[in-house]
Amino acid sequence: MTLYILKRILLMIPTFAVISMIIFLVLNLAPGDPAARAAADGTETVSQDAQESYRIFKEQFNLDKPILVNTRYNLRLDQVEEEVRVIADFRRPICPDPELLAAQEEEDELAAFAPETPPAEEEPELEIADEDDGNCIDVADRPRSPRMMQAQEDLPNWGDYAVAHLLTIARDHERLDMRITAANQLSTNARRPLVRRSDPDPPPEIRDLNRDISRENNTLRGWRVPLAAEPEVVDAMVEENWEPWFEENRHRFEYSSGDKVRIFFTDTRFARYWANLLTLDLGLSTVDRRPVRTTLLQKLPYTITLSFFAILIAYLISVPLGIWSAYNQNTKRDQFVTVLLFVLYSLPSFFTAVLLIEFFAVGRPFSWFPAGGFIDPNADGWPLLNQLGSIAWHIVLPVLCLTYGSLAALSRYARTGLLDVIRADYIRTARAKGLSEPMVIMKHAVRNGMIPILTLLGTLLPALVSGSIVIEFIFNIPGIGLYLFDSIFMYDYNAIMGCLLLSTAMTLVGLLISDISYAIVDPRITFD
Amino acid sequence: MTETSKKRPPSPEYQTYGEIVWGQFKKYPVSYYSLWGVVGLFILAMVCPLIALNVPFYLHVPEGVGPERLQGTSYPWLMALFDRNFFESGVDIFFNFLLFYVPLVLLAFTFLTRQRPGEDKAKWKKRRMRFLGIASVIGVGIFIFLYYQDFRQPYVNYKALAELDGVTAIFPFIDYSYRDVNLMAVMQGPSMEHFLGTDREGRDVFTRLLYGTRISLTIGVVAVSIYTAIGLFLGSLAGFFGGRVDTIVLRLIEIMMCFPVLFLILTLVGFLDEPSIFHIMLIIGLTGWTGIARLVRGEFLRLRNQDFVQAAIALGFDRARIIFRHVMPNAVQPVFVAATFGVAGAILIEATLSFLGVGPANAPSWGQILTTGRNTQQMSLILSAGFAIFVTISLLNLIGEGLRDATDPKMRK
Repeated sequence: MTLYILKRILLMIPTFAVISMIIFLVLNLAPGDPAARAAADGTETVSQDAQESYRIFKEQFNLDKPILVNTRYNLRLDQVEEEVRVIADFRRPICPDPELLAAQEEEDELAAFAPETPPAEEEPELEIADEDDGNCIDVADRPRSPRMMQAQEDLPNWGDYAVAHLLTIARDHERLDMRITAANQLSTNARRPLVRRSDPDPPPEIRDLNRDISRENNTLRGWRVPLAAEPEVVDAMVEENWEPWFEENRHRFEYSSGDKVRIFFTDTRFARYWANLLTLDLGLSTVDRRPVRTTLLQKLPYTITLSFFAILIAYLISVPLGIWSAYNQNTKRDQFVTVLLFVLYSLPSFFTAVLLIEFFAVGRPFSWFPAGGFIDPNADGWPLLNQLGSIAWHIVLPVLCLTYGSLAALSRYARTGLLDVIRADYIRTARAKGLSEPMVIMKHAVRNGMIPILTLLGTLLPALVSGSIVIEFIFNIPGIGLYLFDSIFMYDYNAIMGCLLLSTAMTLVGLLISDISYAIVDPRITFD
Repeated sequence: MTETSKKRPPSPEYQTYGEIVWGQFKKYPVSYYSLWGVVGLFILAMVCPLIALNVPFYLHVPEGVGPERLQGTSYPWLMALFDRNFFESGVDIFFNFLLFYVPLVLLAFTFLTRQRPGEDKAKWKKRRMRFLGIASVIGVGIFIFLYYQDFRQPYVNYKALAELDGVTAIFPFIDYSYRDVNLMAVMQGPSMEHFLGTDREGRDVFTRLLYGTRISLTIGVVAVSIYTAIGLFLGSLAGFFGGRVDTIVLRLIEIMMCFPVLFLILTLVGFLDEPSIFHIMLIIGLTGWTGIARLVRGEFLRLRNQDFVQAAIALGFDRARIIFRHVMPNAVQPVFVAATFGVAGAILIEATLSFLGVGPANAPSWGQILTTGRNTQQMSLILSAGFAIFVTISLLNLIGEGLRDATDPKMRK
């Protein structure tokens, strides 16, 4: 038995890993980029500060890493060059089109006669060169905005892996504007991320290390050249600052085959996520920047309270009811109860919940119960008994809604379970022995007939967590379901992952419990 | 007796398995009538535009009135049915198409059954089934052709046109469409003009409820078809071949079973920019197949070692033939039961999603009507939508119950 449990627990680990990987992939490949959602707007006009905080945000949540495998150590020079060219081209003025110029002049002349008309809105990025001096770009060749945004995403995302190539471009490329762009990009890419940023209380050596890194990063940030710099300035910057720095840090940018394997598997979003998961760290929420685990633990009691009472009441009612109706099989009473339970089973819980609120909530015809919430908002200073009373008063309706659906299913299982047993030979033997009828039913029939319903307990656990999402939404109870629901609308990836993984873990544990309870209740079942 | 009948005595009337189940099913009156109830819902879904549409069947515009294009006698209703500007969703076009196609097929079918079965009844039955099969394939073909024609007409406000002098127009019984926004009649109570009132945007709720039947039924049937197909495929593979295939499929099932499916569906639908009912169908279909796969696998495992399958293997039939002709027909019986309950489940999931506000934005889904009613405190909306969901789910569950008992040899009456 112990061996079996151990085996099951060991099997749970790969299952959990695969599920977490699938959920992770689905979330990351789903339409809608979390980083883009978090940034106010990703247009190319954002200021340097906004770009910097966006980059730090991506770094903090590992969004600058590839999703599953990392092959960026193989980045080629021409790939980097292409992106740099897009950015540089985007900054170049547009060549004047002779026809357009003529039209413009004509318009200007006309405009002189109608001075009231307001000047047309100017587009700041579309800078048109005064004359064709070879430094401008044709409209047709100019990169489109999405391409530009893509380049602006890619280059910082490549981080360390692009540094060597950027330096080559900044030093050797024939186009001056590309050298400038590359040099400036270098001062972003060369920075090192801080170590253990989310740790609120790091040990002193980590703190010292982080201080050093910040100092170095600040120096690097200063090594920029103005966009209109002369070639000599760029040369000086590259030769005096970047090249010595690169020589000093060369080990960071050269990868042995061992490094490559490590990078391939571990420098990815998924690996980072899993590394955190092993220490039970679910990451930070992108919305309130608090650890997801703390929030989940804070919300779990609400959901557990609801589920616990719902399951308890469902079992307390359905088992006796099932036994009763099996015992009165095919009578009018049994048929009535069956039909009633069937109606309950088919009633969608959100419909019932809305109806209950419409009739019984405060301010409605009966006003017996509060319309939502888990406890009275002013209950903080109340005595414990009053607080419990307030909770009980609040959860009557939600628990009712959660209970009745499973009630029907459970009592049907109880009924069929007992009906299967009641015709068995050993029941006839028990009767023939002269045992009293209650003894036969309670001791011989029920214990065997309830095995299937007991095993349902494990599978009900996760169902109630996910089923409570609608109930929590309607009654505004701040549990896991509502948290997930809100997180979805905020694109809070870590929070969604946390909720989904919690639910998965509960399902796995529930299945294990139901299998074990099988063996405990029924001595005929062994797993050895 | 003639010579021929002496040579070939009429074949004994075996009851096929389907006939036995059907005979048993008829003995559960509640389930039997529920089946007719669902058929009724389908018919209702088909004839929606006959009951409610804001386009006239017949329109006569005299000269000098209204736009020139519309002058003379025309039949705009007929054109509107396949107009992609008017009915945006393929679901509506499909049901509109069925409105014409189903009566045609039924007519041909009754004509076919008029002819006496002759002496070989089995052959005659087979021919009947084959006719229905071919007819539905042709129907789907015509529909796909129609759909990709992408027929569009400019929008005309026929109701305003009908009020002009000298214009004769015959509208359907209810002259609203489900997306007819009328800001002058917002949040009205039930009246003779609007049977169930209007919602926040002044749309007629009764019409929306009517068209919502189409959405619910489509989602239920299509989602379940998708996952039944997946489940049948994987389950039969696992059960028939066993060994490594079985292990892999079992692992897959185990993984899918531990998935927080409702959470996942909610997340996926929440992430889509514009979730349409096709997305919802697809997602439900891709996540719901585990139950069916387990059932089919179990049946295949049971059947594989039976004599008739062993005989087929010994005869050297190829695997596809054994799987599809010998094992599958004997294994699908529990699948039908599970699929019936599955349709109810899928309808419930869609209603839940719409209720939570992540469903298709403009579709007249029942869950969405309910949630609107909850926000605007309109009892007529809450009750009507809730009862529509409740009745549909009950009917399907009742059919499932009856089918389960009918296929259970122990319960045979």
